[in-house]
Amino acid sequence: MEGAADSDTPVTERPAADRAAALARLLHRDCTRLLELYKERESFLSQHAPGGERLVTLALCPEALSTGEQVGHVRSALRRCMGLLECLIVREVEEMGEELEGEYESLRKTVRDRLGHLLHSTGALLEEGEGGCPPSPPLQCTEGQDEVEASGSFAAKIWTYRVLLELIHWTDSASQTLHLFHSEQHGQQQQQQQLL
Amino acid sequence: KPQTRSANTHVMVWSDIPEKSESFMFPQDKVVPVGSNMTFCCIVKEKDDFKEMMYGRQEMSATRLSRRTYAITVTNQPASGNTGTNVICCSQRLTLTGAVVFVGYPPGDEGLVCETRDLASAECSWKKGRDTRLRMKRSRTKYTLNGRDCLEANERKTWWCSSKVWEESWTLVARNPLGTVQLTDSAQLTDRVHLLAPVNVTAVEVEAWSATLQWSWSVASYKKLEMVCQLQLFAHELSSTRNYSGPGLSSVVLESLRPDVDYTVTLRCGSKHSFWKWGNESAPFRIHTKMDRPDALDVWMWMDSSNTGRVFWKPLSVRKSHGALVGYEVSQSSAEEDGRTPVSLPPGNFSYPIILNNSSDITVAVAARNPAGLSQLNVFLYINNINSQLSVSELLGTNGSFVLSWQPNVNASSGYAVEWVPTGCSGLCPVDWKKVPESDCSFTVNSDSLVAGVRYTVSVYSLSTGALTLLQRWQGYSQEMIPSQSVSKLSPIQTGSDVLLSWKATAMEHQRGFIRGYTVYLANAAHLDLIANISDPEVQSYRVKGLSPSFYKFVVKAYTSAGEDAGSTVDIKIEMDTADMLFVGILVPLGIMFCCLILISICCYKKREWVKKAFYPEIPGPKVPGDWSSPQGPLDVKPSPHSLVHIVENPERDFTKEGLFLVPEEEEESENDNIEVDTDSDEPALLRYYNQVVGDGSHSNQVSDSSGSSTASVGSTQTEITYAGIQSPTSSQGACGGGGYRPQMQSVAGPAEPQIEFEADFQDDGLNTGYKPQCSWQLDSPEAENFSGSLGSPTSVTSSQFLIPESSEEKPQPSNTWFHNFLSGKS
Repeated sequence: MEGAADSDTPVTERPAADRAAALARLLHRDCTRLLELYKERESFLSQHAPGGERLVTLALCPEALSTGEQVGHVRSALRRCMGLLECLIVREVEEMGEELEGEYESLRKTVRDRLGHLLHSTGALLEEGEGGCPPSPPLQCTEGQDEVEASGSFAAKIWTYRVLLELIHWTDSASQTLHLFHSEQHGQQQQQQQLL
Repeated sequence: KPQTRSANTHVMVWSDIPEKSESFMFPQDKVVPVGSNMTFCCIVKEKDDFKEMMYGRQEMSATRLSRRTYAITVTNQPASGNTGTNVICCSQRLTLTGAVVFVGYPPGDEGLVCETRDLASAECSWKKGRDTRLRMKRSRTKYTLNGRDCLEANERKTWWCSSKVWEESWTLVARNPLGTVQLTDSAQLTDRVHLLAPVNVTAVEVEAWSATLQWSWSVASYKKLEMVCQLQLFAHELSSTRNYSGPGLSSVVLESLRPDVDYTVTLRCGSKHSFWKWGNESAPFRIHTKMDRPDALDVWMWMDSSNTGRVFWKPLSVRKSHGALVGYEVSQSSAEEDGRTPVSLPPGNFSYPIILNNSSDITVAVAARNPAGLSQLNVFLYINNINSQLSVSELLGTNGSFVLSWQPNVNASSGYAVEWVPTGCSGLCPVDWKKVPESDCSFTVNSDSLVAGVRYTVSVYSLSTGALTLLQRWQGYSQEMIPSQSVSKLSPIQTGSDVLLSWKATAMEHQRGFIRGYTVYLANAAHLDLIANISDPEVQSYRVKGLSPSFYKFVVKAYTSAGEDAGSTVDIKIEMDTADMLFVGILVPLGIMFCCLILISICCYKKREWVKKAFYPEIPGPKVPGDWSSPQGPLDVKPSPHSLVHIVENPERDFTKEGLFLVPEEEEESENDNIEVDTDSDEPALLRYYNQVVGDGSHSNQVSDSSGSSTASVGSTQTEITYAGIQSPTSSQGACGGGGYRPQMQSVAGPAEPQIEFEADFQDDGLNTGYKPQCSWQLDSPEAENFSGSLGSPTSVTSSQFLIPESSEEKPQPSNTWFHNFLSGKS
């Protein structure tokens, strides 16, 4: 695991930022796998990627200058992704019922749980209000679907695809940002120790 | 705006107008049955490049319908996956638009059956049938039963519906977007009773042979139901099923159980009237029956001598033990004494020694004991007439078993008993027996209880109350084998050129079969030569005749029907008889020797002349023509002139003296008178010989008789030869035995004219005596040696024997040996 190979220090002594970064990396891997599984099921996605706009953007967020602010921005995006993922799960369960329990369904659940942990741990890293985007209205699950050039099941599949892509993108971004954040923190700590 | 008609009956209308600029495909989310045909239309967005349309993974050739409308037609659509089949319309790299089509089957449910579990409500169930392949919730099969939605089926994907009320007629509608199926069922409630499982099953009374089972019902209305219940008993891999019936049955008595057995019981019930199916089975329940007294033992008695024996019993099977045995009790009693205290034996013992004090009848009883009590006593009454004088016949085994049959006996009121035991066994013997009912008159002793090569005594007894009678007895082998040991004490006895081989048969325990005979072999270097086959097993000797002296090795083998044993070997060296040896050794040489002697004798006899000449030549004696009786006087012999001796005059000598001096006889010994001899005479001297015979015992002096007579001692065997020697006329002192020449002169007065003149002196001076012709020189006298030089020709021979044999004379020749006679020819 990339996260675990980071340092020799035991997990309990790792800094929170480091752990968050590791979790983000793990989550990124899970999301990549999730998309792979989805593509196995809906084979056309492998050959012809659908176009379309992004579902999660940070257009409304102020510009992030510091690393901490960047972390905040990423976290906001991830929160949006979480909303999208939960809509995704609800819709799929609604459509298919509960009886399908394949690898895709179980990984989907894992991703949701880990994303929740990541949100929580990144939130703990940030000071109050730091880097946060303005709170967005609660996500309506049907919103995104209207933006797709189709309706019905096909549109839902396209939308699911996009959600999974967003997840991959933002978990990767979170991983990098958190790593940077941790490096800065670690450097500051060393400087402080030297000064003392 | 063109109308687009799809292949199916559905008509969709869309407008290909610039106002609707986005890409779009239709139809969307259609649900079609497997095998149908469809047409899909793709309206491409303005300025987008159309490349192709795909149905699932398959590229389809699209038909351009208008500037931005393309269409494909799919035929015989296969069933889609869980999430439907994707139909996409794409440009070079992007998916422009698409649709999902769900291809599946209408419902395939069947077999609606409704039953009641609680005698009030209904449970209808059916079989799902073929999978519709429609997973989406909205296209799943929906069920209604008698118009009411089946929540169990719709929500939880189970295939039954319940109804609170029994309606006697049921209709199940299964609907999905592709079709509808109706299932019906109708029945009376009483005909569809499916009971639940009994609950709280317990055993209230457990005995050795029976048990009472109780249970209860969760539905109160069961109590009124006439039901039949099925009980399954499992014990030791055996199972049995029993049915019981009754209204609201809730307890049964299980009969015919066996003591000390672990049973597992399961119970299920059903409606007795219009039985439809068994209800649910209860959970297994375990019952362990109590123990009971054991069954009676199979007892037998075996006597190996008149007052010792053993009582045997066969072990009880678990089924007959009715509980684990703790031991056995043996008690014996006879007519005289009361029953003794029973002897307790631990389990595992199956015999007990019996000693009879006197040869009276005895009763032995053996019982088995377990925690529940003592078994019935099996009394064996032994009547001491078992050892009868019944003849024993030979029994041959058949494939390792004994097949027996006997004549029915009227006294066999309790049947017969067959007993078999190794012959000659005593003490703890492997006695085995079997009691057969009186209807049987045959029995086969199984090879499992017989050992090959062991002789068994098999007996059949007739049993009646208190009596045991021996009917028949055999001895035999279940399977004969070759003897394990060969004959013993094999010894050869040589008599002359015959050898008598004798042996002793092996002991019975080593025979392993009936000895049918013996074979005698002569062992060569590599193999055995059969000499004799003795087919009478009683014969235990054999005479081998006509053997030449040599070393022989004999092998004697005993044989049964299975073959010969290894054999006993004995060797013997045949030698000649001692007497013969003596005869040959002694008499033959003797005979040969005698033959040789006889031959030699014959030869000698034939050639006796030659032999005589060679070994015993004759010494010819002087031929005397006349009477050779001894003259009394001296014999004057005038020597031949040739014998005149030239006499040399010797001045020293006194020739004047004449004659000789007479020497007195008495003075022979003491003195040696000189005897002068006249040696100077020219005339030849007259030799005067005196015939003298010197007798025995006299000294060598021949002058023993003064008379000059010669006496011939005829008794003597001596032969004396007097040699006359010419001696020198020197005076001698008696070298000749006491004197010189002493002629036998008479007294001076005698007329004798012994004028002996000696002139000659032939002798040397070595002799100091004169000429002494009359000296008789004994050959064997010690002084004869002195005269060896003066020996001359014999002048007188005095012999007591006749030297010249006269064939006509009959003079006694007492001294002649037979051999001399033989040689001289007794012809």
